[in-house]
Amino acid sequence: MGSVGLMLPWEHRICPVAREGSRVEPAERGAQGHPAGRNPEDAALAAACQAGDLHAYERLYRWQGARMRNLARNLLGSQSDAEDAVQETFMKVQRSIASFRGQSSFVTWTFRILVNTCHDLRRSRMRRKEFVPEEREDAVMPVEARAPGGHPSLKLALERAIAALTQHQRDVFLLYEVEGFHHAEIAAMLEITETASKNTLFQAKKNLRQTLEAPRSSHAGGA
Amino acid sequence: MQIKCEDLDRIFLDGSAEEWAGLEVHAASCLECAKQLQAWKALGVAAEELRDYQETPALWPRIESALAQQAKESASHKPWRERLSFWRNLPMVWQAALAGALVLLMAGTAGYVVLHRRPASGPDLTNNPLLKDRKVAEVERAERDYMKAIDKLAAEAKPQLDAPDSPLMANYREKLMMLDGAIDELRMHAGQNPSNAHLRYQLLSMYQEKQATLQEVLETKP
Repeated sequence: MGSVGLMLPWEHRICPVAREGSRVEPAERGAQGHPAGRNPEDAALAAACQAGDLHAYERLYRWQGARMRNLARNLLGSQSDAEDAVQETFMKVQRSIASFRGQSSFVTWTFRILVNTCHDLRRSRMRRKEFVPEEREDAVMPVEARAPGGHPSLKLALERAIAALTQHQRDVFLLYEVEGFHHAEIAAMLEITETASKNTLFQAKKNLRQTLEAPRSSHAGGA
Repeated sequence: MQIKCEDLDRIFLDGSAEEWAGLEVHAASCLECAKQLQAWKALGVAAEELRDYQETPALWPRIESALAQQAKESASHKPWRERLSFWRNLPMVWQAALAGALVLLMAGTAGYVVLHRRPASGPDLTNNPLLKDRKVAEVERAERDYMKAIDKLAAEAKPQLDAPDSPLMANYREKLMMLDGAIDELRMHAGQNPSNAHLRYQLLSMYQEKQATLQEVLETKP
């Protein structure tokens, strides 16, 4: 491995340890388990949704809606597109709830639908953009202003670096590092093996480091 | 656990908790690995910057309304698969028996329809411009009989027509000659297109006109 890419200008602004309650160490993740997959509410919620109870969908939204919106926004780069994707996901869940057999957790199944919906939206948006002349290369993944309090330049750099990843790498990175899913859950969502999920995450992080290193190296070279 | 610099990627990829702890110990004495480890961790911490779980109050009412609308629509358009969902709950033996009974019923119905099909009552020239072979044969037979009857009338009227004693009779003769010419021409076309009902209709009307003319000739007999 080369130089340490994440000794970046923004390094001093972020806390070198995880925030309280969040997990950083991959080994810790494996030991902890994820609440979504084991929560007893999961099966009850699936059964209530299958029975056509609209309040069950509201419970699902209260439980996972914020995470769904966040994932969709990071995949699509737009708040309004993310809201559309979440709404479409709930519609699809309601349409196909009869086919849910409980082979994975209900939340995992819902997130699989969300990821696929985001891919479909992204593809249709890209097709529309093909007809727009003079499209800027860096406008493929539009980035909206975020809530104050974070590190705008760090977010921007990271979002741009994530946009440069392959679709698979982007999905795995966001699901694991941002949303805190386990490799087993990600494997079920993306219909890949756990090993493939681990490899993809490793490759994604290597690529992110390379991308985030580049401006610093060129800056240092120019100085 | 003893960790070496070359173990770094393997641990980043799929290290156990023990290996991560060993890596921390190794990094305390290896500057390069310490940098790598810190950068790797920093990426995970940076990813948290992408976590924004702020509430959007307007979204759930929108979703709820869409779900209620969809539920209403699906209740009124229940898919046929759902209506037949009882089938899945039946035992396999019953499914096989019902399927067999259905096949027998369909075969019986098809056989009944084939055996008891009503024969056509006559040529339906109005709805079938192109006649089938069997119908064409029937039409031609009827046409021949009609021609024979008209020939008999013509034979009776022949003496008057051969020696017309009045301008009226001369006109009848000319008219009949024209009709015969038209009939010959139509028969020629009908021979080339035997299934063309339109030609048959024209031919029929010519025969009727000839028959009526011959009857008028015979009625004007002095």
